[in-house]
Amino acid sequence: MKLAALSEQFYSLVAPDIPNEWDVDEVLEPLLDEEESICRIILDHVPVIWPVSHSLCYDFLRLAPGALQSLSIVQLPEWVGITLDMYENDGLRSAQRFMQNDLTEYLSRLKGMGGLRLEKIEKKLLPYIRGIARDTLQITAARETYTDTDTIFIPAELSVFRGEEENFLLYKLILAYQWGYIRCGTFLGKAPAGLPAYSNEENTLWLRNFLNDFPEPSLARDLYHLLEAIRVKHFLTRELPGLMRAAASLPLPDNSGTMATSQPHAFLHQLRQCITGSGTDLEKVLSPHLNRDETAKYLQGKATADDSARNTAILYERLHNQHEEYTPLSPLLFQGRMKLQAVARARCERKAKMEEQLTDMMASYLLNISREKRDALLRDEKEKNDGSALAESDISLIMDSEFINTADREKDAPLLVTINNESLELPEELDAFSREFMDEFGDLPARFISSAAGKAGRGGFSGETEDGDNKEKSLTDTLVFDEWDYRRQGYRKNWCSLHMKELTPIHTSFIRNTLEKYHGLSIRLRHQFEMMRNQERYVKRQREGDDIDFDAVVESLSDTRAGLPPSDRLFIRLKRDERDIAVIFLVDMSNSTAGWVNTALKESLVLMTEALEVLGDRYGIYGFSGMRRSRCELFHVKHIGEPYGEEVKERIAAIAPSEYTRMGPPLRHATETLQKIDAKVRLIITLTDGKPEDYDDYKGQYAIEDTRHALLEAKTAGIHPFCITIDHKAQEYMQHMYGPANYIFVDNIRKLPLRMPEIYRALTS
Amino acid sequence: MDTAQQHLAEHLITREPYYLATGSEIEIALSAYKNGLPLLLKGPTGCGKTRFMQYLAWKLQRPLITVSCHDDLSTSDLVGRYLIRAGDAVWTDGPLTLAVRAGGICYLDEIVEARKDTTVVIHPLADDRRELPIEKRGEILTAPPEFMIAVSYNPGYQSVLKDLKPSTRQRFAALSFDYPKPAQEAEIVCREGNIDKTLADDLVKLAAMTRSLKESGLAEGASTRLLIQAGKLYNDKIDIHTACRTGIVEPLTDDPELLAAMQEMVSSIF
Repeated sequence: MKLAALSEQFYSLVAPDIPNEWDVDEVLEPLLDEEESICRIILDHVPVIWPVSHSLCYDFLRLAPGALQSLSIVQLPEWVGITLDMYENDGLRSAQRFMQNDLTEYLSRLKGMGGLRLEKIEKKLLPYIRGIARDTLQITAARETYTDTDTIFIPAELSVFRGEEENFLLYKLILAYQWGYIRCGTFLGKAPAGLPAYSNEENTLWLRNFLNDFPEPSLARDLYHLLEAIRVKHFLTRELPGLMRAAASLPLPDNSGTMATSQPHAFLHQLRQCITGSGTDLEKVLSPHLNRDETAKYLQGKATADDSARNTAILYERLHNQHEEYTPLSPLLFQGRMKLQAVARARCERKAKMEEQLTDMMASYLLNISREKRDALLRDEKEKNDGSALAESDISLIMDSEFINTADREKDAPLLVTINNESLELPEELDAFSREFMDEFGDLPARFISSAAGKAGRGGFSGETEDGDNKEKSLTDTLVFDEWDYRRQGYRKNWCSLHMKELTPIHTSFIRNTLEKYHGLSIRLRHQFEMMRNQERYVKRQREGDDIDFDAVVESLSDTRAGLPPSDRLFIRLKRDERDIAVIFLVDMSNSTAGWVNTALKESLVLMTEALEVLGDRYGIYGFSGMRRSRCELFHVKHIGEPYGEEVKERIAAIAPSEYTRMGPPLRHATETLQKIDAKVRLIITLTDGKPEDYDDYKGQYAIEDTRHALLEAKTAGIHPFCITIDHKAQEYMQHMYGPANYIFVDNIRKLPLRMPEIYRALTS
Repeated sequence: MDTAQQHLAEHLITREPYYLATGSEIEIALSAYKNGLPLLLKGPTGCGKTRFMQYLAWKLQRPLITVSCHDDLSTSDLVGRYLIRAGDAVWTDGPLTLAVRAGGICYLDEIVEARKDTTVVIHPLADDRRELPIEKRGEILTAPPEFMIAVSYNPGYQSVLKDLKPSTRQRFAALSFDYPKPAQEAEIVCREGNIDKTLADDLVKLAAMTRSLKESGLAEGASTRLLIQAGKLYNDKIDIHTACRTGIVEPLTDDPELLAAMQEMVSSIF
């Protein structure tokens, strides 16, 4: 092809721009050697690149012929695409660099070689490890491999091997090993028999103290970690033989980073080789240092973490050389590091959480035992608290003494709670949970029963007051409402003023975490709610319709023959079920909701809104609280018709316990709002944790009667009120306020997020 | 009537079906039968409810008539209808009527799938009246003592729309089924799939892994039935990975990530 023809083509492609002729000729020159078809393919990309950057386009023309030596023609568009992405993300320089230098890397990636990024396979790995572990473990990308027993931290990218497949296998192996450590109990929390216990075990792990107690902690750690890796390997070979077989053929590079010069290093190297399967017989490595029984344990996979701890001490004694400094080995690729402080932290968190749950369960249990017992108990507790703080609680949790001395049966011994020397057997759920707790953390905390009793005594799950003053700013509107006074069977005119307030949105990961936590559920909900959307279906046996129902006709003819009156329902009709629903959620923000209740309320709202978005029902969400009749507050989370966006999500996250529960004004306001909305079904759903109550005389019967009246007003306006409560004593007054079947009592607050969408579904279908 | 007898003979189970009791369900069911109580079986899909009914029918030597319920099932489909045969209107018994007349066992599988107005027809049969009114013939059939009615449903994917009415529920003695304990499940898979013990153990392990994926979005984990299915495929010289994929993994979901994850579990175990 002639240069003139090429440049003419180029000018027509970039028109109306008229670039410098000299430049054009220079970049087009290399193309002269190419075939015409190739030139056309290269020039085809000019209109794409030219408008983005002229100099990038020149570079492309200059480099394309060379690139086509290694790229196939089909790959060219993708290569151009990546270059343009680079230009847009990182600028001209990096795009040029990519075109010039990174071609080989790009090519190897195209061939499926090179690093494997976690994000690419995370969606596959997460269910994989959760399935394998039968537990909800998390995966997070981190610089180093380790686990804190809740989350497994793994590198964001693996490029140990050239092939993607091998790297993926390594990812699986890493996860399996980390899970193995958790499952095999490597992270010892309690002192094994024969080894010293440490005093400060509340906040840290026994194992950490134990290892740090050695003059050379890193040697002890490496010894223990490798002994444990042998155990885990045995476990995994039993549990996941397929994976371990595949892993055996993985040529793992040696990454120890040190030469096997000193005695401990030589030993550890041999141990590592036993684990990677590339070397010496384990028996030969262990038997010079450990006695035959201990060696056999490791050979047969029968050792325990306790054994490893004891053997670590023995091996340390034999191998440690005081005059030589020990340089720690970098761990095997799949072995990861032991970050015991992280484990201790996760353990602490879990302990706190379980303690709280246990206390809640215990409290609700105490609330359900007979009244006299409880009253006696609470009175005692109170006296103690008033008297000396040191007096011991009369309630305690013990193992049934009949079983206590038979060691092997001890585990099955029923747990008893004794109250003033009277024993009660625990319900199954509580029993199982306490046992789980004791298994992991040793003894039940002494204080938990008394705090459960305290909670039970307060008649609900009230927590400490939280200061929520700076969390909201007031909107200008103040609304005035009447209040019903049952004593005079009339309204107190303009009695309460309701202030509309705005919740300040807060940025948290709450929404994301919740959706992650209930991932399975939210998919299910989405599916279920999709099914509730406007549906079209055929209904048979109709009096009129679009088509003849043949079955019905035959039956009707037969009936006529048999001398029976024939049915006139002979048609099939297409029926459209349309939803036309508007709903307001009123969320209790009184201070009694602090803690678990508040979290559960918010989680339920998140799941609910996600599901409602699918359904397309119109809905609004408001929180309510306040103090005295002059300052009732209504917090805006979402108006009806307002789109469900980031701000709404952040406001949901901002819902926090505030002051009291004066139910009348918010209900009346919701009624007014809904009255202005045209919908076939209008609903007010209240989420609360207890009776209506305010600081002034708004309590007891007065409060209940006013609330009841506010609800009656709603009903008169054609609005269905419904209440979801978690108050244990709800039955007494709820029926009076809402009427039968218009409220529901959720006994386990943790189930609320699951129950609420279910309840809504039942209500509206 | 001859044809009806013939029909019934087909429903009689002559060979003992394999059933491994996981608790006292057999004694309970036999006692319910003796006392004329209807049975409600609940449990996840493929955990052995239907097999249990077959076993029970064999044990009692009564014909078992199974109706799989669906939302188009009408009362006439259960009770019977007039049909025109050679110019005459002839009454034809439905499966329920057939079972009542013959003193057999009528098993309504997945009862929640049927519409509520259909299921009320069993109400008078399921309480102490034990009678079936046949409206069109103006006849009331009283069930003989040998007759038993049993229904089943899966509370797992029960939707509120398809819940049983309390008035229906409260007529039944209810037996709750679940997947058997690992050892027992392995025994069942071993025997039904005709495979060796170690493989059965591994299949059961795989099942436990999939069952823990509920949180990750899998509606239901692998049922015992699927395990047996995979075992059978393997037995027919299909290699174990393929047998697990076609027999267990693919039937469970269409979600590509979950599929891939479960496939990885398979290759990690076998």
